[in-house]
Amino acid sequence: MEASAASLHAGAGAHVEHEHHGPPEAHRSSRVEPQLLGMLLFIISEVMVFGAFFTAYFFIRVVDASPWPAHGTELPKIIAGFNTAILLSSSVTVHWALEGVKRGNRFALKAGMLTTFFLGATFLFVQINEYVHIGFAPSNSAQASIFFGLTGLHGAHVFIGLCLLAFVNVRAFRGHFSPEQHRGVEVPGIYWHFVDVMWVIVYTTVYLL
Amino acid sequence: MLAKLRAPGWYRAGLFTLAAIAFAYVLVGIVRSAMHFPNAWDDGDAITIVSLIAVPLFVLVGIGCFDYWFYWVSGRPTRPEDHSAHGAQSWKDYFRVNTDHKVIGIQYVCTSFFFLFVGGLLAMLMRAELAQPGMQFVSSEQFNGLFSVHAALLIFLFVIPVFAGLANFVIPLMIGAPDMAFPRLNALSFWMLPLAGLLMVGSFLAPGGSFATGWTAYAPLSTTMPLGQLFFTIGVQFAGASSIATALNFLVTIITMRAPGMSFFRMPLLVWANFSTSLLVVIATPFIAASQFFVLLDRALGFQFFNAFVGAGKDGSVLMYQHVFWFYSHPAVYIMMLPGFGIISEIISVKSRKPIFGYRMMAFSLIAIVILGFTVWAHHMFVSGMQSWIRIPMMITTAIIAVPTGIKIFSWLATLWRGVLHLDTPMLFALGFLTTFTCGGISGVMLAMIPFDIHVSDTYFIVAHIHYVLFGGSLFTIFAGVYYWFPKMTGRMYDERLGKLHFWATFVFFNLTFAPMHVIGVQGMPRRVADYAQQFAGMNLAISIASFLLGLSMLVFLYNMVVSWRLGPRAAANPWRALTLEWQVSSPPPIFNFDAVPTVVGGPYEYGIPGAVHGIFQSPAEAKPMPAGSVATSPTTE
Repeated sequence: MEASAASLHAGAGAHVEHEHHGPPEAHRSSRVEPQLLGMLLFIISEVMVFGAFFTAYFFIRVVDASPWPAHGTELPKIIAGFNTAILLSSSVTVHWALEGVKRGNRFALKAGMLTTFFLGATFLFVQINEYVHIGFAPSNSAQASIFFGLTGLHGAHVFIGLCLLAFVNVRAFRGHFSPEQHRGVEVPGIYWHFVDVMWVIVYTTVYLL
Repeated sequence: MLAKLRAPGWYRAGLFTLAAIAFAYVLVGIVRSAMHFPNAWDDGDAITIVSLIAVPLFVLVGIGCFDYWFYWVSGRPTRPEDHSAHGAQSWKDYFRVNTDHKVIGIQYVCTSFFFLFVGGLLAMLMRAELAQPGMQFVSSEQFNGLFSVHAALLIFLFVIPVFAGLANFVIPLMIGAPDMAFPRLNALSFWMLPLAGLLMVGSFLAPGGSFATGWTAYAPLSTTMPLGQLFFTIGVQFAGASSIATALNFLVTIITMRAPGMSFFRMPLLVWANFSTSLLVVIATPFIAASQFFVLLDRALGFQFFNAFVGAGKDGSVLMYQHVFWFYSHPAVYIMMLPGFGIISEIISVKSRKPIFGYRMMAFSLIAIVILGFTVWAHHMFVSGMQSWIRIPMMITTAIIAVPTGIKIFSWLATLWRGVLHLDTPMLFALGFLTTFTCGGISGVMLAMIPFDIHVSDTYFIVAHIHYVLFGGSLFTIFAGVYYWFPKMTGRMYDERLGKLHFWATFVFFNLTFAPMHVIGVQGMPRRVADYAQQFAGMNLAISIASFLLGLSMLVFLYNMVVSWRLGPRAAANPWRALTLEWQVSSPPPIFNFDAVPTVVGGPYEYGIPGAVHGIFQSPAEAKPMPAGSVATSPTTE
């Protein structure tokens, strides 16, 4: 791999030099960072995915006026409430990590990132445990499908967020990021905040209301 | 050989395909064992479904879409200054992961035209079956499959991505950027596309036949279909993810990478059009993703979203599918049309040598369509049994959305007024678009009226309308755009005589094929049925013959494109004497587009104004005192 990749790049490098020395610097026509803007647009897209799942919820619960939750089932509000607290506290730690790296405090970066990761993993673990013991399956009713659909969609986002946090952790522990270059912490952090805020909405509509 | 299997490319992709199938087999086996299901290890359905998701993902990794990111996330050194994946030296480079927006644009256009021809052949098969009443060539199930795959391919693998392809090539050049904002994401979003297409075409090989629920895949029909349905359900996810990623890329590119001096109101209208389309994609496309997630969950994991059968006691909702689906799929028709509006604005202004009429209104009407596009979805559901109070508001908004479209039509007409028209192939297609799309728009307003819509629901009137706006509308703009930018993309000129032949054949046979469908539709011939009453026999035979000739006219186009690309005369940098920036560089453009980023000093459409210049190749500081001394085209006095 190394050898072939090296020779490939050597060959490519030769032709690039032969062609051109590199692209001109693009003009920056906006003060917004491209990566930040890309993440915000992606979050808009994600909000709409959740919106479609909430549409399903709305149709079953409000338009069709089906009982919520389905007859004979109960949702574990208290456990999910603790879980909410766990997830929300992880938003605080990820912010701590970002503030840390901005001030050059590498301990805060590493500790904050690692804590966030484990808080997120705990949330996911509790959620899966809740699925196992909840006493109904998605095939029981449309309400159960919506419950598993919405919380499962959110769980999938927590999983993606955990992957991003894992990448940040690896890079942080390998000595990347500095007060000048911390976009790699900031952008996954924004995603993580989005996952948290979305959970508050899911928890409120699915469990509490 | 081992090195080949480890380096990114097709060998590794093949290896990863096998790995994906093995992964699906093991995953399904383990999960089913854990759930104590009978026959845990030999459920072909489940293994196929998981493979349908895993294989495309593994192939994407195999051909190397993720290699850079794997280096990045593991904290190993990456090579941001290495442009080895940039630009094409030979035709082989078009079959590799490439980060050059010009290469990706051509990859997009060629791939989607491949699927146009596949989809067109399916349509020919349908017309063969419909040439006579009774059943001749295919069974009714196969016929259902034909029109479903035809529609799904042409919508998700042709119209939407071909616009993304043209824009991919043109937009960074037009706004004076060296590339898109996220070149690697751009490559990834392209490579998802052929995989989605292969899934959809591959559904013909599935046991039980291809998906056969139309491109709308209404539940609960789609949740009770054989395995082929899942090829659509999962294929759409990849096509949708591709289009969201591209849209995001366009938005970021347009917002952050415009050349100095290019304010939003100095952007060419094609850029405006893709900006608004991308907004639609980012906001609306997640809804179809979700609707197909629902179908997938219902079909594969026994969820009950759509189980509304009385007595089943599951409380599912069928209407919910249609609301979620059309909340995407109505904006989707603007996703399939707005970029075409942009292309037409470019061509009509250049070819009539006049500034575009009402530039700002053209831009605002695009935004108006984006906003209104989200308020009309339920007009697809007038006969669905939804709450009747939704109907009137939806009728009104649907009628209103014709207003911004009308503003555009009249602005184009006003641009043509007293212009010096150059009636070459792109212009002919643009003018053809104006006529056919206006017809399609008028039948659209007719369909907005509830009583008429109820009368013609699910008849050939709908087929006529959709083909007047998507074939006579979108496809004509695509042809116009392909001819217009062909010299820029390939560096060669197409054959003008064959181009005109192609236009006239397409225009005549298009109208002969689809205009009679209005009549038989109003008379009540149902769409999506392989057989029909004797009274429609004459009309259908005529339609079938016209449609075959329409198919033949596409061969003229194919021949012209292939031969001109190889043997056509070399194209000048600016054969149309256009002002926009993409024409101010060589044909084809240099590998990084510009040696130095140009400065924009005027509007993009100042044709016929002496001394007018759009962009110059000087830094902003040098540029200000002498806007006329430029390398731009000599202004015309026509």
